[in-house]
Amino acid sequence: MNNVAKYVAALSLLLTQTLFASSVLANDTGLPNDPFRSVMWKSIADRFFTDGPIVFDDRVRVIAPSHAEDQFHVPITVDASALNNVRQIVAVADLNPIPHILTVRPEQAMSFVGFRVKLQQSSPIHVGVQTEDGVWHIGGAYVDAAGGGCTAPAAMHGTENWMDTLGITRTIARRSVFDHARMTVKMRHPMDTGLAAGIPAFYMNELKISDTSGGLVAEVDLFEPVSENPTLTLLPKMLSAEATQLKVNARDTEGNVYGFMLDVPAAAQ
Amino acid sequence: MTAKHHAKNLSAQELGRRQFLTWAAAGCVYAGAPSMANAAKLLYPLNASKIAEKTWAVYGLPEYFTQENGGHIVNVAFIDAGDGVVVVDTGTSKRFGEALLALIQATIPNKPIIRVYNTHHHPDHVFGNQVFDASTIAATPQIIAALSRDGVAFADNLYRLLGDWMRGTEHVLPTVALESDSESIGDRTFSFTSLSGHTESDLIIRDDSTGVLFGGDLAFLSRAPTTPSANLPEWHDALDALEKMDRSVILPGHGPLDTTGESITQTRGYLTWLEASLRESVDAGLTMNEAMSVDIPEEFNNLYVVRTEFERSVVHLYRQFEDEILQEVEVTR
Repeated sequence: MNNVAKYVAALSLLLTQTLFASSVLANDTGLPNDPFRSVMWKSIADRFFTDGPIVFDDRVRVIAPSHAEDQFHVPITVDASALNNVRQIVAVADLNPIPHILTVRPEQAMSFVGFRVKLQQSSPIHVGVQTEDGVWHIGGAYVDAAGGGCTAPAAMHGTENWMDTLGITRTIARRSVFDHARMTVKMRHPMDTGLAAGIPAFYMNELKISDTSGGLVAEVDLFEPVSENPTLTLLPKMLSAEATQLKVNARDTEGNVYGFMLDVPAAAQ
Repeated sequence: MTAKHHAKNLSAQELGRRQFLTWAAAGCVYAGAPSMANAAKLLYPLNASKIAEKTWAVYGLPEYFTQENGGHIVNVAFIDAGDGVVVVDTGTSKRFGEALLALIQATIPNKPIIRVYNTHHHPDHVFGNQVFDASTIAATPQIIAALSRDGVAFADNLYRLLGDWMRGTEHVLPTVALESDSESIGDRTFSFTSLSGHTESDLIIRDDSTGVLFGGDLAFLSRAPTTPSANLPEWHDALDALEKMDRSVILPGHGPLDTTGESITQTRGYLTWLEASLRESVDAGLTMNEAMSVDIPEEFNNLYVVRTEFERSVVHLYRQFEDEILQEVEVTR
């Protein structure tokens, strides 16, 4: 190879690297470009995905419909069970007036959560899964939605007296594999955002799951965008094949506390 | 959605478009495939297909609302009743109503529109009302009340989905509240059966001189049923009632003309599977997203837009099955 050819080869390599780098890094702060092209990406990342490097990672699967059939109940499932040593899962609706949906700390649970969210308009959803090394693994989805999910009164306000049914809870727990169970809890609560005229913010803001010996299984911080009658699906890890119980303690922003037990069946033989 | 699933849908879509052309071509006035080239000018390519004596259907595409089809997804019909024309459902938009009116006038020149029926209050069936004289538009009192309640929200949603196709569209309420079992219009008598299940009020109209049943959306054919306002037990009762009704053919709200009653058995079968599938998913503790991705059985997998409609149905119906199936626990406060 003569010198000119070497020079051309080196230059093209340099160009390739430069182009590659620019497609990954949006700016010199090291923030990667957002594949969902959110206009709020930098602001969301600065606010919610702090104190650690940020990478987009296919192992954070965010399952959401491309079109929201109902802007008050947009189902989202986050499955990051392919990641180990997860510290927290943070879900954000970028263009909601209140973006933070929830945070899950899956202490003794799989890195998985199912929930429903109110969307004020079509929005990118970003989910950051922070591992113990501090790295934020980001996944997301884009959901097209009709407007107004966060500023309309909860359906409950159309009933005679919503306080009558506050906190009524329905649950199911199933176990098809040895190493974890599957639990869904649904609690009656208006989850008022404070953005509907005349109705102050009032929402379930804490939910904690413990095992029979008091060990923490998972903690969830809920915020205003979580849909009315919050419905959460989680996968608690199981150490034995025997049937057991889980204890759930929840609390809302007026300090009401709610406690209940969940029967988890034995692992199938 | 997996790539495999997507590929399957595409081939079903292609198969389906051919089938759609066959339905439309079965009518004698069919003048060619609806050309989406016209969509650039926002003109609905409507064609009248004769389905019975002096009776024409205008078939919609077997699709969901898109900015390409402008909501040309619904079947409407018209009948030459001697003194004038009777119209069954009016389509998705003001523009659709205008195209329908032009088609009627070209098919049956120089006759006034003397009656317009709305089979139920869903937007794809009523938003062409605007171009007809409100004094001729008839429906059950419940349909009128439901359209009065939901009309603005329906229009908002369709503006979002269809954009400029919806220009100038507003809901117009029927002024004739049907309370009797039948009425004579021109030289024909129409019998009414007031049912429910697809919506809170589904009006079945029977033309007594031809035996044609205008089924609205109680029975779908070759296209997945939709459930945004559904009450499944009532819908099953309505299908049983529909099955017993004396008829020559059924014109479903979506899909080809039904000469055998297949729309009834197919809709019943799909709704039965839908409910069983959702109950099973709730009982397994699945999230809605997981419930949306279950396999659709072979017999329903070729229905148009079945995956889209199934996913919509999960959102419509899942919470009510949760409230039945999830066990209430004692809560300490």
